Amino acid sequence: MSTSLELALRPGASPARHLPGDLAMWFFILAELTVFALLILAFAVTQALQPQLFHDSRQLLDSSTGLALTLSLLTSGLFAALAQEQVRQARARRAAWLLLAALLSASVYVGLKLGEYAHLSSLGLGMEHNTFFTLYWILTGFHFLHVLLGMLILGWLAERCRRRVYGPTNCSALESGVLYWHMVDLVWVLLFPLVYVLN
Amino acid sequence: MSASRTLILCWLGLAVLSVASVQLGNSGATLVLVASVLLAALGKAWLITDGFMELRHAPRLWRGLLLGWPLAMGLGVLLTLLLSSQPA
Repeated sequence: MSTSLELALRPGASPARHLPGDLAMWFFILAELTVFALLILAFAVTQALQPQLFHDSRQLLDSSTGLALTLSLLTSGLFAALAQEQVRQARARRAAWLLLAALLSASVYVGLKLGEYAHLSSLGLGMEHNTFFTLYWILTGFHFLHVLLGMLILGWLAERCRRRVYGPTNCSALESGVLYWHMVDLVWVLLFPLVYVLN
Repeated sequence: MSASRTLILCWLGLAVLSVASVQLGNSGATLVLVASVLLAALGKAWLITDGFMELRHAPRLWRGLLLGWPLAMGLGVLLTLLLSSQPA
């Protein structure tokens, strides 16, 4: 179901009831959020069972790195949202540049995260070190895979924008791809305090 | 206000809340500070869902589902922390 197309075909339709992107993407997002919910709650419950271990292990993580990771993802989300806005104003080429900026910002996240993973590995804080790090690697690793998939989608969308495939009345696929990227952001803003900040 | 300006304001709010949550987390481990960090996370989730994902104009069911997810996560985390802080 394309709600963008629906609005274009029905100019009188109230934007107050507009759901961007394809309905299938929203169901996919709900499924993804359910999986992440299970992982987040598993982390929280285990933390309640072993509070001292989680407190001590969390001290081995750098919260400023966590903050930099957060800001790079959120900045990427901003560029992706701005790109979508440009397409709606029939500026597809400008949108392509904004999506490239989103990719660049996401690359900062990937670089920082790989650096963090390498640092923790060099300290012997791998998946088998203790319960905290087992859950840390599973939770952040699963999210990291989503970031990589999201970057592939952003790259594909940027190329499609460069070729002016999308326009104000034909951007539902773009909206769906950008929504996936925002879902990755949404999950991270809950993971970040849970893994790096809370004591 | 243009849509782009709204998006930039959302991003500014997200950045401020992110920095604030780290500051709060480094300030101690009291219940008030923990709740404040979780509240900041919920604020960020709201800015993403209503701002970036444009759900403020979406059907109530979808908006409720997407806003309910971070709320459920925040409450779940807070509940587990409260339970773990109870003396045995």
